[in-house]
Amino acid sequence: MKIRNDVIKVYKDVHIWVGILSGLMLFIAFYAGAITMFEKPLERWATPPSSLAAPPPLARAEVLLQAVLAEHPQAAKNYLIVVEPTVDAPARVIWREPGKSRRQFTEFGASFADDGSLQVEKLRKAPVAQLVDTLHQLVGLPFPDALARPIMGAVALLYAVALVSGLIIFLPTLAKDLLAMRIGHNIKRLWMDVHNALGVVSLPFHVVMALTCVVFAFHDEFYDVQGAVVYEQGVPWQRETPPGPPTPDARPLPAVELLRLAHAQQPGFDVFNFSFKQAGGQLEASITGLDTRYGTRARTYASTHLNPYTGEIDPHDLPGQMDPWDTAVNTFFMLHFGSFGGNPVRWLYLLLGLAGALLFYTGNLLWIESRRRKQRADGVPEQTRSARVLGSLTVGVSLGCVVGISATLAATKWLPQRVDNLAAWHEGIYYALFVAAVAWAFVRGAPRAAVELLRLAALLTLLIPLSSLAGVWGIGGAWHHPGIGCVIDLTALAAVPVFLVIAGYTARRMRVGHADSVWAQPASSQPLPPSGRGPASALQE
Amino acid sequence: MTTQRSHRLDSADWFGKTCAGLVLGFSLAVAVSGLCAWLTPGGIAGGNGKIQFVMWLIAPLWAGVLCFVFLFRDSRRAWLWLGGANLVACGLLAGVRGLLG
Repeated sequence: MKIRNDVIKVYKDVHIWVGILSGLMLFIAFYAGAITMFEKPLERWATPPSSLAAPPPLARAEVLLQAVLAEHPQAAKNYLIVVEPTVDAPARVIWREPGKSRRQFTEFGASFADDGSLQVEKLRKAPVAQLVDTLHQLVGLPFPDALARPIMGAVALLYAVALVSGLIIFLPTLAKDLLAMRIGHNIKRLWMDVHNALGVVSLPFHVVMALTCVVFAFHDEFYDVQGAVVYEQGVPWQRETPPGPPTPDARPLPAVELLRLAHAQQPGFDVFNFSFKQAGGQLEASITGLDTRYGTRARTYASTHLNPYTGEIDPHDLPGQMDPWDTAVNTFFMLHFGSFGGNPVRWLYLLLGLAGALLFYTGNLLWIESRRRKQRADGVPEQTRSARVLGSLTVGVSLGCVVGISATLAATKWLPQRVDNLAAWHEGIYYALFVAAVAWAFVRGAPRAAVELLRLAALLTLLIPLSSLAGVWGIGGAWHHPGIGCVIDLTALAAVPVFLVIAGYTARRMRVGHADSVWAQPASSQPLPPSGRGPASALQE
Repeated sequence: MTTQRSHRLDSADWFGKTCAGLVLGFSLAVAVSGLCAWLTPGGIAGGNGKIQFVMWLIAPLWAGVLCFVFLFRDSRRAWLWLGGANLVACGLLAGVRGLLG
């Protein structure tokens, strides 16, 4: 495709600047986002075993509920009956007490001890998966949501501009260069090929991410503006009034009966729990579960209203039964979350997320390569300060995010025995490592810090499965849930050699790669003139 | 419309163009989303799903304007053309609201 040279030049400038401004934050968003694809398994893996006795059968849920309400009447306001208790929801009856903010809850679970007495436990759902998710949502910024979210939105807009400008630059040579990998002495050409191939092949994924993130950042503001200028009297949300009891003295159906009626109405819908709220003297209920044939707007479930007196499900919030507008919106969410097609799509999204992180990383490498001061006859020139700074920043921020996440995950199984405020500790560990890594990258310079931080990442990531292994042996309060959670340990284990191999390549480049590069060993510590590079390779650039 | 054969595009005016894309791109996106709210099936009372869909429309419209605003020859032209497009879209929206509201 033919595009005028001056247009390409302008969009090259645009691409370079939006890339530099947003690339590192996007790296964190994508690396953490890739891990967040398995947030639920990670949360289960990270949650300590419950001290409650095994849950009573579903048929006794009402007996347990009455026992709870007798001792904790406040539970009536907001409680769940869990159909299939799991590690992160380990009780048949769970209730929520409001926390500091509207969305915060403290959850309690109940069971019967062997002697029939009521057992109550404050649930200890691990906060570490949520931390990784928050890093993802707020592009790694340690600011309050109100400040970090608009910055994330701005980054998303820059990202959208980066995608379009990158495509415009690449279009004229797309047919020739797509999937070309020119591996040779011209490192810039090689990184350019990698960057282009990643960008073009995953472009639809990136367009989805950029546009959905603009909405995730600014939906409140968008509604406010539309409420003022589009609609007559504010946004005309339709309130759904739940059906009341059919007769004044009607009683809610038992959970077993609700489940039977749910299966009859929605075959294929796997029910996780029923939740109940007391509002205005009336009981409101909803049903949560998943029909794996449909993608969902929540990441791991679908939820809709249920009449607790008749068991009738209101299907219009369930994927596959929504109106066309809702279906379209459901699809936007689903495409962002990869919440369709089950685990194969989750793994695919994980790979696309890591490829995205690599796209932004290679973008920064290209910026550095294109500002390289070439070797001349009179010796190796000093690289520009900006190239050195961006090199250190790229290494420090990217690998700081990697080591921070690995460290805080490795600490998961040791903290609950030792400290109270788990969320603060996990956040503290992440940011301590992150800040230290960035500082280290500036102190040591990009090449040495890259090698060292990659080896540290390998070590810290290895500690993740080792902690689970300690749990198998019951050492130091660690634990291990049998079952599918071991996939997390195996994935971490598989990442260890990857980090080591990259560290090996980086070390090799530092020793024998081009001397006229920010990636070469700093001159002061070079014992011998660099080998593996002669005037011939310099000419190729 | 924005470039003549003799004129070469450059990046000098990036700040003004970016601001035009951010400000007028946003207002244009809101106005066009409003037209969609009123004129597509179901009309303005199309239900909760439609309300959300119409809100989502802002993102691609706004980002789209921001992406292509750099094709204007200078920031004055960007502000004038996008301002004109805003006038048309807002005028249509006001007219539609008056007729159908």
